[in-house]
Amino acid sequence: MKFYCLKKLCAALGSLLLLSASHAAFGQIAGLQSNNNFFLDSPDSTKYAVIMVGPSVAEENQSMFRQWGFSLHDILARDYGYSSDTITLLYDRGDQDSSSGGRVDGACDRAGIEQALASLASRVKTGDQITLYLIGHGSGAEEESKFNIVGPDITGIEFANLLDQFAEQDIAIINTTSASYGFSASLSGEGRVVISSTRSPSERYDPVFSRFFIEALDSRNSDRDKNNRVSMLEAFEYAKSNVEAWYEEQGRLASEHAGLDDNGDALFALDPNTGAADGRLAEIAYIDTLIDNNAGLSPQALALKARMQDIERSVFILRGRKADFLEANYWQQMEVLLVDLARTTGQFNEQITQ
Amino acid sequence: MNRLRSKSAARQFSLGLVLATCSFLIAIPVSQLAKAQEPLTISGESPLARGEQLLLTGSYAAASDIFQMADGLDRIDGLIGASRAFAMMGNYREAMNVVEAAIEGENYADSPLLSTQLAEVKRTVGLSTEALSILRAVVDGMADPPVRTLVQYGSLLKFTGARQAANQVLDQSVQRYNDGLVFASEDVGMVALASWLLNNFHDANSLFNEATRANPNNLEAHVLWADLFLEKYNASDAERGYQDALDINSRYTPALVGIAKVVGDERALQRALAINPNSIPAMETYGQLLLMNGREEEAEDYFTRVLALNPEALKTLSVLAARAALNERSEEFAEYRAQVEAFSPDNPQFLGDIADTFGNNYLFTQAVDYARAAIAADPQYWQGYTLLGSNLIRLGEEEEGKANLEIGFENDPFNVMTSNMLKVFDTLETYTTQESAHFKVHMSQNDADILWPYLEPLLEEGWDTLTAKYGYEPEVPILIEIFDKTEDFAVRSVGLPDIGPLVGICFGKVITLISPDTLSANWQEIVWHEFMHVITLQMTGNRMPRWLSEGISVWEEREGRPYWGRSQGLDLVRAAKDDKLLPIGELNSGFSGARNNADLGFAYFQSYLVVDYITQTHGFDKLVELVKQYAFIKEESERFSAVFDQSLGEFDTGFRSWIDQRVEEINVYVHTEDMPDEGEGHGHGIRENSSAILAELYNNASLKQHMRSRIEENDRDFQAYLQLGIVLFKEENFEEAKGYLETAHELLPSYTGYPSPALVLAQIYEKESNQQARLQWLEILLEGLQHDYDSAMVLAGAALEDADHERAAYYIDRAIQVDPYRNGVHVLKAQYAESIDDRELAVTEYEVLVKLEINDPVEARTNLAEAYLRNGQLSEARQNVLYALEIAPSFQRAQQVLLRSVDGEAN
Repeated sequence: MKFYCLKKLCAALGSLLLLSASHAAFGQIAGLQSNNNFFLDSPDSTKYAVIMVGPSVAEENQSMFRQWGFSLHDILARDYGYSSDTITLLYDRGDQDSSSGGRVDGACDRAGIEQALASLASRVKTGDQITLYLIGHGSGAEEESKFNIVGPDITGIEFANLLDQFAEQDIAIINTTSASYGFSASLSGEGRVVISSTRSPSERYDPVFSRFFIEALDSRNSDRDKNNRVSMLEAFEYAKSNVEAWYEEQGRLASEHAGLDDNGDALFALDPNTGAADGRLAEIAYIDTLIDNNAGLSPQALALKARMQDIERSVFILRGRKADFLEANYWQQMEVLLVDLARTTGQFNEQITQ
Repeated sequence: MNRLRSKSAARQFSLGLVLATCSFLIAIPVSQLAKAQEPLTISGESPLARGEQLLLTGSYAAASDIFQMADGLDRIDGLIGASRAFAMMGNYREAMNVVEAAIEGENYADSPLLSTQLAEVKRTVGLSTEALSILRAVVDGMADPPVRTLVQYGSLLKFTGARQAANQVLDQSVQRYNDGLVFASEDVGMVALASWLLNNFHDANSLFNEATRANPNNLEAHVLWADLFLEKYNASDAERGYQDALDINSRYTPALVGIAKVVGDERALQRALAINPNSIPAMETYGQLLLMNGREEEAEDYFTRVLALNPEALKTLSVLAARAALNERSEEFAEYRAQVEAFSPDNPQFLGDIADTFGNNYLFTQAVDYARAAIAADPQYWQGYTLLGSNLIRLGEEEEGKANLEIGFENDPFNVMTSNMLKVFDTLETYTTQESAHFKVHMSQNDADILWPYLEPLLEEGWDTLTAKYGYEPEVPILIEIFDKTEDFAVRSVGLPDIGPLVGICFGKVITLISPDTLSANWQEIVWHEFMHVITLQMTGNRMPRWLSEGISVWEEREGRPYWGRSQGLDLVRAAKDDKLLPIGELNSGFSGARNNADLGFAYFQSYLVVDYITQTHGFDKLVELVKQYAFIKEESERFSAVFDQSLGEFDTGFRSWIDQRVEEINVYVHTEDMPDEGEGHGHGIRENSSAILAELYNNASLKQHMRSRIEENDRDFQAYLQLGIVLFKEENFEEAKGYLETAHELLPSYTGYPSPALVLAQIYEKESNQQARLQWLEILLEGLQHDYDSAMVLAGAALEDADHERAAYYIDRAIQVDPYRNGVHVLKAQYAESIDDRELAVTEYEVLVKLEINDPVEARTNLAEAYLRNGQLSEARQNVLYALEIAPSFQRAQQVLLRSVDGEAN
């Protein structure tokens, strides 16, 4: 089932594709797809999450990091189809206590990280997706940027080396630490989605981005397009908007500006979107696992579903070409498509409830 | 006119350094030669060097003695030094004598530097004609008169109205610099002054910089440079300049006066006058400061002393003339004006100062007239355009105001006030304008979308209520400007970006406000308050004293809504106990002399109490009568006598006795160790009870014990009950906490500081999951507290759940009064609208929610489309749902709305 992949690539590459006639677009998509097999999101692939929560001296931060790490673990398990087998939580010194509820898989130290990633490497298959969440403090700048872990800190370059063992998997990294920029830049690479809570070496204060990124995932709050799935781009946009609103409400100048890089140039976009250099991959990089829900559908229902997918694709194509149309003309065409889609969806629903 | 040649100036600077070094080398043997002929000081230095050192460190008396010991080649410099030292002590007679005695006959050109010093002192004591003839003699009698002489001559020519001649002379000094003939720091400082007088402010700035670099101990240059900054309203650089001078000589009176001008520091002036009891600038500044604080008699005393010393003291004359004009004492004003005309014809500064005084007293029409007169007197008086522009803006004449500010800026770009005000026009260009029957409002698009639906009805309600009540209709439209940046609000209001805790200002026809988006206070109360000012100001031609205008505005807050206004019972008891209530005649000084927000807040509160006293004791009509009295120029006592048939003293006695009675009724004990409540935005906003907040933070056994002992000492110690209740609450000893908090509430039920007994009790019941009791206490809390969004939301939500629509509407409105920019309240209001089937209201709320939504635009658009659909607005419904589906084409709820809107199904 490649529908989502095709659809999202269409949307993501819309502005590029739509320079040519729409009927020719699919040929280009296919071509692009064969060259860039990232985040294909097939139902037979597995999604893994590695949550790394670093230590903190301050009690308040320690408690906050812990809460974030554990909440993230629970949300992924509850809403996104992950299980304790697919989530690895490395927390501080790795101590299990009564309140950790068996969530902690190990210590967030160098050995713990290396061991966890090696273990993961032995389990994953080609096309699986691994999302790494870094929570805690960071320090340094550029090549010396570090994620503060128990014992000697780990630099971005060292961490990037550890990720080299996942060449056949899709990698997304959400680095929410302070001074995260340099570390995140070291992890940039083709086919990777890297989100950094800060976008400049001068942003060194503890960011609030993590809080809002987790909030974005909670109950699929950031599902902007209402398809019941949350993409990295949607979660990023939600967190970013709420960080801005938070600083405004506090009456403070924002000391953090989150950025996203998904084209491998290590340049983090503040406002990624499908029409910009960064954002296209993040839009198809879903956090949740895809469930094959075609099973049991009648041939008529399958035909209607295919038609819905066709119309939806046309909507994305038209949306991508918005700038080429006069406003009234655009909405006229959009309305035709959307009414068609709405009626077809109605027919499909009737079919499956019969 | 000569301007600095920048390249040659740079060359000149380096050349100057070289030559200065050479002259130093040459000077040593001359100095040694001199030393051989003259007695040395005990330290072995020459008297001149020692005198200079003493002068620099502020030992003026010793300096004056030592300088006079200088002889030989140092003699003239010594005499000038002595004269300057005498002048620094205010002994102007001796300052003149010591140099005059050394000038043979009236051959001033033979002793140019002595003569220049003599002229400068003569000018200081108001003998400008004599000073002018001395300087003229020097300049006419020499081929190359000293730079200082040229500049002082030019300055005096300008002062006496000979502007063209002044410019020629000042130009000569600048030319001298351009020719590479000015080296010494003192002379460079003089050329800087010449550039300033020629309106070449950039050159002046560079030259002062050069002068102070060449000699960091050139105090005169430091202070003149700071004066230049101060003239341009650049307070921070001015303060730094004065401080630089004081770091070198803490007894340098011109710098002490400068600091006082920047920060209003009375002690700096007292120090200056202790050093130089005849310092004219110190006395002038002190007089102005006292006048601002309503201490007229003391001010008068200073002004009299100034004029006795210097009958040509322009600032003093302009202040006195302005006061005469303000009080419509036209003969007196004419006398002052004639006095100035006699020595400084057509002085634009004099007229400009009067314009400024009128503007500061809210008499903008007259300020505009005087600013125009100042410009007519000297079209190159650029400050005049700033004064004209800023006062026109306050009259709502924005276009002409801006045009004048632009003229000012083009010619004097360093004037911070001018550039700031023009920048606000840039902001205003991005704003939108909304109009109602009587108001025209400039605001950001965000405010227009979210605030305007609630602001418009409030403004018109205010108009209907208050114009009827006071029997007066102000001139319309009333212009309101709402700024979403505090700096823009401040600049638009006072020209500078710092305005302290103020959140709204009324100029009579114009109101400026901070957008409620940046406040956490009841914005409706603020709007009501400011509109009341429009009425009282316009009723009196802007002659209302601040205390009464504020008193009425605060009083009308409570009249507008029962939960608006101020409840500062605790502060009142404390003020009465500490005898801090001001007599009526001094109430204005409560505002101008407030040292902190608490003081300022109390000034508003006491003014309100006076108004409350008048209405309760004498009746509302008497209040209106009193307001009307201010339309005429009268003594305060006459007004009170005419309205209340009482002297001011009798009125005051009556008021104090009423206050005593009120304090008795409040009947709480205030402990000296508790801090007064601190309110934000002069009382609009939550008033923080710092003592109770500390109790919240540091709950411990010793605090509990201490509070228990306080209660034992005095069983009406409100704060002790409250703080003990808070500590017990934090310890989760809820039952005991309730007892103390309920007692605190009974002692002072009107208390609305943060935290209050009602708030903490509500929190206890929330912890105990006793929703009914929680809601009861929140209701009690909101009876007197208008700035609490969260409690209003809780009550609104509960009322909606109970389908109590009336209560729901009331509390939703209460929340909107504090913060209309939060989603939550509009979600509730939309739900409320749906539950009472008010489709139009639902549309309004969903429209606002679309503007506010940052996380889920699809949901917001779909909700709005549905609301349109229910309201029969099919086309709007269709367009909005298309916006939603464009983002989320598979969103089925939106699809259904689309089909219904296309198929014409409204319901």
